[in-house]
Amino acid sequence: MIRRLTSFRPQPATWLALSWLALLVGVALLVPWLPLPYAPATPDLQHIATPPDWTSASPAHYLGTDSLGRDVLAGLLAGAQRLVLLTLPAVALATLVGALTGAAAGFWGNRQLRLPMATAGWALAAAWWALSLPSKAVLWLLVCVSLLLTLLAWRTARRGASYRRRYTFALPLDSLVLGATTLLGSVPRLILLVALAAGPPPTSVQFIGLLALLAWPEAARLVRGRMLWVRVQPFIEAARASGLPMGRIWWHHALPHACRPLLAFAPLSLAGLMGLESSLAFLGIGQGPDVVSWGSQLATLRHDSTAWWVAVFPGLGLLFTLLALQKTAAFARKNTDK
Amino acid sequence: MLRWLLARLGRAAGAAWLIASLVFIGSRQLPGGPEQLALADASDLSRPATGTRATATQQAARQAVRQRLGLALPVFYVTRVAGHWHWHGPANQYHRWAVAALHGDLGVSYRDGQPVAVLLAQALRYTLPLAASAAGLATGLALALALYLARAPDSWGPRLLLSLLAGLQITPLFLLALSLLLLFANPEFLNLLPAENEAPAGGSSGQQAAYWLARTALPLLSLVLAVLPELTLPLVAGLRHEATTGYATTARAKGLTIRQLLRHHALPNAVIPLLTTLTDLLPALVVGTLVVEVLFALPGSGRLLAEAAAAHDYTLVVAGVLLSAMARLLGLLLADVLYFLVDPRLRSAA
Repeated sequence: MIRRLTSFRPQPATWLALSWLALLVGVALLVPWLPLPYAPATPDLQHIATPPDWTSASPAHYLGTDSLGRDVLAGLLAGAQRLVLLTLPAVALATLVGALTGAAAGFWGNRQLRLPMATAGWALAAAWWALSLPSKAVLWLLVCVSLLLTLLAWRTARRGASYRRRYTFALPLDSLVLGATTLLGSVPRLILLVALAAGPPPTSVQFIGLLALLAWPEAARLVRGRMLWVRVQPFIEAARASGLPMGRIWWHHALPHACRPLLAFAPLSLAGLMGLESSLAFLGIGQGPDVVSWGSQLATLRHDSTAWWVAVFPGLGLLFTLLALQKTAAFARKNTDK
Repeated sequence: MLRWLLARLGRAAGAAWLIASLVFIGSRQLPGGPEQLALADASDLSRPATGTRATATQQAARQAVRQRLGLALPVFYVTRVAGHWHWHGPANQYHRWAVAALHGDLGVSYRDGQPVAVLLAQALRYTLPLAASAAGLATGLALALALYLARAPDSWGPRLLLSLLAGLQITPLFLLALSLLLLFANPEFLNLLPAENEAPAGGSSGQQAAYWLARTALPLLSLVLAVLPELTLPLVAGLRHEATTGYATTARAKGLTIRQLLRHHALPNAVIPLLTTLTDLLPALVVGTLVVEVLFALPGSGRLLAEAAAAHDYTLVVAGVLLSAMARLLGLLLADVLYFLVDPRLRSAA
């Protein structure tokens, strides 16, 4: 697949899109070392709502200031940093979780994955202990039963395959994953994000977690659907017939094929999360007053519609980024479909 | 068939209730309780905390507020206090909220003490017409546009239109609405439509109607443009695919024009996959009103929810979550009914 990607010649528009994205990520990572005269959130009270000034040799603010006197250029860079550092890890996490859960659900379904009964006992005992539920006697009973089941499973496992299934239960993986995606899909993503971020402003780790929580169901559904097709292909059957363990078949043979559509899906997912993050900042929810992002810069236009220079740069930046991601997704789709 | 539909709706309703419950319980776990955040601004201004006596009064006042709002009760049937589990029975916040919500009483707003159901009903008087007309307009426009694009020659005009639609699909609604606001309701550029003005006080009903029409034009346009690509692009692809099938060739050989073929023969088949998209249309419009009403200062339910979230007013937020879940349920129901009407194969199976 890698060779195919490198041998393909992207169009000029795709090159433009990729270089814009590279520039954005580069700027976002380099912001702490850039020599900026102003901090993004500190107001310069002598220059309030000044338009950009490119005529004088050494202007105070290259891109002007907003109605609170904050430097637009510094805010633009800080917003790019916030956008990239929040959405990129979130999309990586969501894609990883979605790929693993979706692939497992599609591959094993509701009946195929059989776990030894003892694991359920041990898990129950561990949960009982961790939550410190009342009555120590129940805990000891659970531990004893689990021990007994482990011994039984160990004894019967040596007698052959027909005994091996006796002390096992089927984990309904498919129902669990589908149920979780239904639960998260029952409310539109922005509404759910607004509701979850309505408390005190989340820290960046919490915010990444929130975004990943909203984004993984789509990836999981995509991979699950693909896996339903992959698992009935002849090469999986051949792998089974040759006696490979199921886990190995899943990891080495089925998973790479089922994850192929993610290459085109991840840029679109990233674009969706960027839109969500800036919409939330635009609405002024889940973000402290001292944090500057592209959404909050665009929101200043609501109070002062004459200060176009505050909004034009983040607006165009966001638009270019999203279009570039769409172009990248189309490029990736063209290549993976071959 | 009916059982399958009912099971599907039941699952969706259960998921909606569960997520609203999770948001409700999660809001009660915030440090200091949900009402502290909502009331923090007011108390910071009125009572500067100086000395122990002031804090004692503050504590007492806080306790009184908690009592009044019913927040002094335990959160759930079972809670864990200092490592021990307690069973509270029905005297808990979740039980009271659930019972009241099932009776249509969604609680009282933390900020002004008004019943949430009344606030929502007032706001929906503005939002429902807006969302409904946006849905109708978008569907009609999508049908017309798709029928045109499916038979349009492969020249620069239709291609530009398609790439514009693709670009619109990825643009967040707030950016779109903001640029419309800047272009068409800007006193410095083009002030075609008033975006934020007071209603004419003593005008006749005709003047009032004209004012609201002018004021909702831009929000309506943003909503329509936001949902248009999702409806149009799959329909164009579907129509183009249907035009290559055998029955389409037969119809053409019989002497139908491409326009008649698309409208009478291809459209009923191409529209079937689109009904699933229609399920997402209502929730998408709910999200759309959230952004659009904030931006254009319309007093609707979306703005109510956004302001409630910004002010940590959790009774309203939970009610908003329930409302949007309801919109999705309605969309599901609508799509299922439409499937039934459009696809005769489903009818015979039932």
